[in-house]
Amino acid sequence: MPGSKVEVEELTRALDGKVVLRDVSFLIEPGELVALTGPSGSGKTTLLQLLGGLDRPTSGRIMVDDIAVHALRHPTRYRREVVGFVFQLHHLLPALTAQENVELPMVAAHVPRRERHERARELLDEVGLLSRAASLPSSLSGGERQRIAIARALAGQPRLILADEPTGSLDALATERIWELLASVRQRHGSTILIASHDRGLLQHVERNLAIREGVVFEQGLDANQSDPDAETPPPSGGDPHDHAPANA
Amino acid sequence: MTTLLQTLEALERRPMRTFLTALGTALGIATIVALLAVSGGAQASASKFLNLGSSDLGLFQRDAADPTTSVLPLALVSELRHTRGIQAATPLVLLVGAVHRAPGAIAFGAYPDSFVTDRYVFLAGRMFTGDRQVAVGSGLAAQLHLQVGDTLTIAHHRLSVSGIYHMGVPEQDDGAVIAFGLAQKLAGKEGEATTVAVSLAPTVSRSEGIKTISRRFPGLLILGDGVNAPRTGVSGVLLSRLALVLAVIALVIGGVGVMNTMLMSVLERRTEFALLAAVGWSGPQIAMRVMAEGILTSIIGAGLGLLLGVVGAQLLVGLLGASEYVAPNVTAWDLGQALLVGVLLGVLGGMYPAWRAARLSPAKVLAER
Repeated sequence: MPGSKVEVEELTRALDGKVVLRDVSFLIEPGELVALTGPSGSGKTTLLQLLGGLDRPTSGRIMVDDIAVHALRHPTRYRREVVGFVFQLHHLLPALTAQENVELPMVAAHVPRRERHERARELLDEVGLLSRAASLPSSLSGGERQRIAIARALAGQPRLILADEPTGSLDALATERIWELLASVRQRHGSTILIASHDRGLLQHVERNLAIREGVVFEQGLDANQSDPDAETPPPSGGDPHDHAPANA
Repeated sequence: MTTLLQTLEALERRPMRTFLTALGTALGIATIVALLAVSGGAQASASKFLNLGSSDLGLFQRDAADPTTSVLPLALVSELRHTRGIQAATPLVLLVGAVHRAPGAIAFGAYPDSFVTDRYVFLAGRMFTGDRQVAVGSGLAAQLHLQVGDTLTIAHHRLSVSGIYHMGVPEQDDGAVIAFGLAQKLAGKEGEATTVAVSLAPTVSRSEGIKTISRRFPGLLILGDGVNAPRTGVSGVLLSRLALVLAVIALVIGGVGVMNTMLMSVLERRTEFALLAAVGWSGPQIAMRVMAEGILTSIIGAGLGLLLGVVGAQLLVGLLGASEYVAPNVTAWDLGQALLVGVLLGVLGGMYPAWRAARLSPAKVLAER
């Protein structure tokens, strides 16, 4: 299934009187693998939640293909059929096995049990954890849990995958494996993938880098050494047009 | 992976809380079952105070608290005897708690030559012949190890056992019969009777007899068979109503208990429900998951309550010393009602927590972690 086209226009989100995202605009083409980098509290999670239909903007537009996400009153179907979410904390249900966790979105979609089982096992195989299908999350390593969470995000055959700091609690080796896995998912499924991360290693695997500072999103180059993604202030407006091109250019 | 298994697993995560919630429900259900059983038993037992033949009726005072407290004027007997279709009428006085060493036994005051006492089959001795004698039922004789010639004390009166009879009716076999006049005196009912037994003419059907008597004596309650028996015992009716009231109270208290537990569970598992919402579960799907937990907890409690109720009914009757004339009677309908109450508890108690779980904001909750 081809990936989604994501169009964001003048998106603003204010929370408790504080503007978290300010007039954000950008475009992601179908099947693109894009990084979203920025320091903590810059608005990455808020932006991903808005794109995933978990939150509603204060103003602005979000179009995912022909779906006006910003106006969805009942986003359940959108979350189930269009988006796959990977969270920093894997949020696997502790009492369910790896396979059962992967099946959760399919339970909501009323996928028949046999089909659910087969699909979950296929996905576990894809993330290299078929042998751990019957394991509980507590017996898995951090990297394995996150791979299970990625398999769960793929369960609904999403056109858009949103990953929010998926390697935040992983070591360098496990982090690298997650980036490789997400890149292969893009290759295999053609999904559009947007990954928010602090990890500069991610930039080696993506095609674009959207940087975010204090709620403002702009295009940034992929050279991992060019700037500190954790910098607390946005770049000067008169910066290098190549490195800091407007995100919606 | 099934919804049931997931629900069970969620309950297993907090075993003590689940157990205490179920226990709260169980106690409510047990109370209901015990009261239904006792009231049912009391109603059933009331019909057995008299051994009514196919053409017999028992007359009681309408709305008496229970059969033993009915008071009828003796003048009624002679009027009944002159009523068309009535072959015979004889008064009876019932004494409860008067037999020494057998407080549950009933002493019947009757005329020794009445059509009621004519039906007694004597295993030993014979019917009493005066105010100093008593005929004892086979059950009571066995209980107190009585033989003909022994002494039995009724309401502080020492009486000689004239004979031991058997009727096949527990209330009568476990009791004794004394002279009608003596019973009146002991009961303080001189000029009165507890009940009047009526034998209809062979040509008169029971329904015709009831119609005739009720038309002529409207203040009477006419006991023709077990169907009307419950009406003779207002206590039984009161017990039934009490059971209903307790059922409502149990619903409220149990519902609040289940709601409290489920609410705490929802608050503790906010992340789980937020995650389900994030991966595409709808509000009703999440709400149903919470409701299922509440209902399952209540059903477990109801099952436990049914068991406790059946055992509790026996214990209650024993503790009250009423086992002689109240046999707890648990019917399938009683059990069904209790189970229904259990399910209702789960539904009522789970509604608000389910609504809360379904309305959680995944963005807010998942961002907290």
